[in-house]
Amino acid sequence: MSLAGSEIRRAKLRFGLLTGAVALLVFLVLLLSTLSGALVGALIGALQGLRADGIVYADFARDNIAASRLDPGSAEAVAAVPGVAAASAVGTFTTAAQIEGASADVQIFGFVPGAPGAPSGLSSGRLPESPGEVAVDGAGQIGDTITLDPAGTELTIVGLLRGAQFNALPTLYTPLETYDEAAAATNPGLPFVPVNAVAFDVADGADAEAVAQAITDAVPGVKGYTLDTAVALIPGIESITQSFGILVGLTFVIGIVVIGFFFLILTVQKLKPFTLLRAIGTSTGRLAATVAIQITIVVLVASAIALALTLLAVQGLNTGIPVNLDPGLIGGTIVAVWIFSLIAGLLSIRRIARIDPASAVGAR
Amino acid sequence: MNDPVVDATSSTPDGPGPSPSQDAAGHPGALLRVENVSKVYGSGHTAVTALDDATMSVDQGEFVALLGPSGSGKTTLISIIGGLLSASSGSVHIGNVDVTTLGGKERTKFRAERVGFVFQSANLVPFLTARENLLYVATLVKTPKKAASQRADQLLEELGLAGRAKNLPEQLSGGERQRVAIGRALMNDPDLVLVDEPTAALDTALGRQVVQLLRREIKDRGKTGIMVTHDLRMVEYTDRVFEILDGHLTHVESPSALGH
Ligand SMILES: Nc1ncnc2c1ncn2[C@@H]1O[C@H](COP(=O)(O)OP(=O)(O)OP(=O)(O)O)[C@@H](O)[C@H]1O
Ligand SMILES: [Mg+2]
Repeated sequence: MSLAGSEIRRAKLRFGLLTGAVALLVFLVLLLSTLSGALVGALIGALQGLRADGIVYADFARDNIAASRLDPGSAEAVAAVPGVAAASAVGTFTTAAQIEGASADVQIFGFVPGAPGAPSGLSSGRLPESPGEVAVDGAGQIGDTITLDPAGTELTIVGLLRGAQFNALPTLYTPLETYDEAAAATNPGLPFVPVNAVAFDVADGADAEAVAQAITDAVPGVKGYTLDTAVALIPGIESITQSFGILVGLTFVIGIVVIGFFFLILTVQKLKPFTLLRAIGTSTGRLAATVAIQITIVVLVASAIALALTLLAVQGLNTGIPVNLDPGLIGGTIVAVWIFSLIAGLLSIRRIARIDPASAVGAR
Repeated sequence: MNDPVVDATSSTPDGPGPSPSQDAAGHPGALLRVENVSKVYGSGHTAVTALDDATMSVDQGEFVALLGPSGSGKTTLISIIGGLLSASSGSVHIGNVDVTTLGGKERTKFRAERVGFVFQSANLVPFLTARENLLYVATLVKTPKKAASQRADQLLEELGLAGRAKNLPEQLSGGERQRVAIGRALMNDPDLVLVDEPTAALDTALGRQVVQLLRREIKDRGKTGIMVTHDLRMVEYTDRVFEILDGHLTHVESPSALGH
């Protein structure tokens, strides 16, 4: 016979309200972390998901891919550095496009199929292989045609990507030749189309950090980065992730403290029966376990409700950026709420440990 | 004060049944032996001596009363006997266990296994039904489920509560609640049943009924019982009477000697 379950059954309203409050707090944490993840993903997902060990910018670019311009021949110079297994050019710019009859801004990336710099996150279809093909995140369906303005380049969607956006714009990935055509038509009169970056893979066993440094040293006018460093250095990203981190963290901490206090209140309300239970021979450990079991039940039920609310919110809210639930993030958040709630429950357990069973006797 | 000297030659063999001529200091075979127990609450200036050199013994199968005015130390004494409170000095033996030397965990176990308490008020766990209040204590000593169910049902039946088994304490009358508490106290087949003013919240007729029931359950099962009461009329259901005045415990030879 379980004390924890019996009490919940006999105090449905109290535990129902508590579960509702905890569910709202968990919902807030889940929604905030999902949205911040989505926003950061939409801003820099393209770089995060780039299939490469490292990337090279022009040394004047101040760590910013959009400000970087490289001679298309730089890829060969990078490839020649010892420790580099393969290197190829990556280009990107923002342009207008006609998608499904409407005009929109898009970010376009040019890459060499099968070489470093290809996107990841394919959710359906395939990556483009031949000129005129494109994989997209955030615009159209497979088989649709996208027309770039003012270049007039027509692209056929062959694959859909997820988490591959840049600057929170619909993002297109097309073979470098098609990219060059579009770029030349967008900027008439250029003697050649520059690329923005060179993506590289390192040889087996080589250290990406060391190779990036070797590239900086060996190739004039460029700076090499590991992919992680390049992502971390994207201007503004650090402050965005930090701000969201503070927001999510604070919500989380407040939520945990509130849950801890809720259970402390419930425990203090139950001191009389708990004292009686101690007097008739219940160990402190068993009472503590009762509280822990109740916290677990409340947090799990509340998490299920919060998850449902988050799903509804993600579908119902129009955020303008692709929002996907990350099972790892959600699972991690729920486990963290659970563990920290148990820790907050120590407040109650400390109170239980201080119960003097002798005070159950008499009318005292 | 009673003579604390143990006179082994005059002692009768152990066994159920009253032995009113027995000296309060008892004999080595008594189930309960309280020896020179004192209890001082607080210290220094504010120290209160609640119990002063109390000595008593109770045989297996006896049902004794503990009388005394308010604040005389009755609750203090049965709390020490039942392992709820530690004594300042002296020893309490139940069988061959010295309760005063048990550690915290052992005392908790001792209370679950060997003592049945009926408290004056707030006796039952409010979120458990009458039957669950009985079944719960069985889980403290790991009684098999089936045996516990049978025993709980039998006790509830004997206490006239078969029809109230599924009620929560708040749905029971005061007398019914005290009867459930008696059932709870007997559930784990304890050696000792300690009862603190079971009738305080009841009217006389109901009080008599509850005490009669208590006596019957204790006697039928060969248990040893101590009942704290301020009500002289309840004394007739007990085998012997002890009285406390200002922390001094005395054995009352015959109830008619209770002048006060
Ligand atoms: N925790 C405590 N701290 C200090 N003094 C206490 C404490 N508990 C009891 N006392 C004192 O010890 C004395 C005996 O108390 P006890 O509760 O044993 O009396 P009692 O005989 O049970 O009285 P009543 O019939 O009113 O229940 C009283 O003077 C009381 O004030
Ligand atoms: Mg008392």
